[in-house]
Amino acid sequence: MGAFILQRLARAVVTIFGVMLLTFVLFRVVAGDISANYLASDASPDQRQRFYRQHALDRPLLVDATKPITSPAFWDSQFTRHLIDSVTLRATSYATGQSVGRMIAERAPYSLALTMPALAIGWLAALTIALLIAHYRNTWLDRLAVLLTTLGMCVPLLAYMIVGQWIVFRIVPAAAWGLRNVSNIYVPVAIAVLASIGGNVRLYRTIILDEITRDYVRTARAKGAPLSRVLLGHVLPNCMLPILTQLVMAIPFLIMGSLLLESFFGIPGLGGQLVTSISRRDVPIVTALTFVTAVLYVTGLLATDILYAVFDPRVRLKPRA
Amino acid sequence: MTDAPCIFSDAPPGLPLSASPWRRTWRKLRRSPAAIVCAAVIAVYVAAAVFTSMAIEPNWGTSQDYARANLPPSTDQPFGADAFGRSVLAKTLLAAKVSLTVGLVTNVIAIPLGLLLGAAAGYFGRWIDAVVMWLVATLAAVPGIVRVIALKFAFTDTVLFGGTVFQINLGGMAGVCLALAMTFWIGTCRLVRAEALKIRQSDYVLAARASGRSGIGILFTHVLPNVMHIALVNFSLGFVAAVMAEVILSYLGIGVAVGTPSWGSMINAARSDLIVGRWWELTAAVAALSVLVLAINVLGDRIRDALDAKASAP
Repeated sequence: MGAFILQRLARAVVTIFGVMLLTFVLFRVVAGDISANYLASDASPDQRQRFYRQHALDRPLLVDATKPITSPAFWDSQFTRHLIDSVTLRATSYATGQSVGRMIAERAPYSLALTMPALAIGWLAALTIALLIAHYRNTWLDRLAVLLTTLGMCVPLLAYMIVGQWIVFRIVPAAAWGLRNVSNIYVPVAIAVLASIGGNVRLYRTIILDEITRDYVRTARAKGAPLSRVLLGHVLPNCMLPILTQLVMAIPFLIMGSLLLESFFGIPGLGGQLVTSISRRDVPIVTALTFVTAVLYVTGLLATDILYAVFDPRVRLKPRA
Repeated sequence: MTDAPCIFSDAPPGLPLSASPWRRTWRKLRRSPAAIVCAAVIAVYVAAAVFTSMAIEPNWGTSQDYARANLPPSTDQPFGADAFGRSVLAKTLLAAKVSLTVGLVTNVIAIPLGLLLGAAAGYFGRWIDAVVMWLVATLAAVPGIVRVIALKFAFTDTVLFGGTVFQINLGGMAGVCLALAMTFWIGTCRLVRAEALKIRQSDYVLAARASGRSGIGILFTHVLPNVMHIALVNFSLGFVAAVMAEVILSYLGIGVAVGTPSWGSMINAARSDLIVGRWWELTAAVAALSVLVLAINVLGDRIRDALDAKASAP
């Protein structure tokens, strides 16, 4: 058990290092020189040099080979700074000079205010509907639900957003413009729930159908166990592993928020920030937010792996490839 | 009771048992009305994209007519006009070309890449497996749309093979395809690797190895043909995902080049139009997108059902 957790932990660390490497290559090497976005078009070479120096872009990429290997200056490169900035969240925005750590502290609550209720309500609703239609499988109710969810999945979130805002505008005009009033958060929350429910119901239905058609369920019903107990006490716990995995996958997006909803409704969360930083070509912020998303995601996966191993002995016994 | 009739018990009657799995899939598909309708819908999109790119695109850049700006639908212009007075119908059809190209090119890069790397990792194991899986884990660690956005963001000013005839400007559609392809091969790779791990243990591979076939030979003659069904199913899933992702990227302004008609940039242009009563541009873009996605989704479902010999329709 301990060895299993250690092995998973080591793998997570290797992955996180890989992400640091990836973000470095993408944003420092492939993205190229973005100074033009922050300097006037007639900026003198001097001003340009000052911009490079201010953001340490004049340092060598990997190591400073002109210095002896023992001196700190040898290691003072863009890559080293990238690693340190990633871990300490000390990278600062080109546009505002704000550090990423502070930005996250300021903005994450807004993202959480949108995503936590959306995830909780959406998850409960999708699970309830999926249980219901799986129980009434092959009836008109099931077929209608499958049809509706399939159609719902084909409409992009963008359409839900714009049409949702319009409908709210017709009913309560003041509520349509995002967070002018904090209580208005229910509009984007409702849209997030609506947009995600189709796919989730389809997924959960497939998982539950796999379980609900088994012999033990029929036996339990035949011996007279009440429906609620069969569904909630027998079927649901046995479907929980894949459903929980899917839930954990959503965790990084809790803090990162919803990119589209936040930028559309003007919610000052991290998702909206990422969209703004992309249009400003604010490299340090995009780098750091990508990295933070990855760390959250890998941590979530690690947590599920360990929880599985603790609660489901079959997982531990299976040879891991 | 022998095994053979069981294996083919759900094959349509009248089919010889020797029919190849692909033939059987094809025959099943041909008997499914939903699959035929969806294939027809997709064919209409392809035809519209080809036709408009020949008939309308050459004059598109100069087709503005400000006297008609934002005119509602009429018999003259059935889908109305956009803010530049251009026909929304023509714009919507032109945008189909972008979506179909992105969906196709992305998967033409991603699926073979995922097939090859996945099969090699699963079959050869050892260091190849370690390297491929590290790459997969690293890329997959950045979840969902953030990964695509990060890749496309990095590509904004990048030009490949600059100065040569093969010059590719990654700022526009080529960058979208590459960013999506670098994301999408992962799913195929994982599934193919898991399948290749099983195939490696099979008797026919052991026999091939005993008869002296090289590893590469076995990979191409025994492993890859047996994982092709994964490629087909992932193609339809990847197509839909690519079309949806392109719309989001173009909506955010980091997708196809500015001025190229795309459903995403149409939705972006029309985002605050509903409030003032201009519904046609948004409706046209969303409807065109949704119908295409629905058709590919349903066709993909049917293909998956037809491929799976043991499938029991729920």
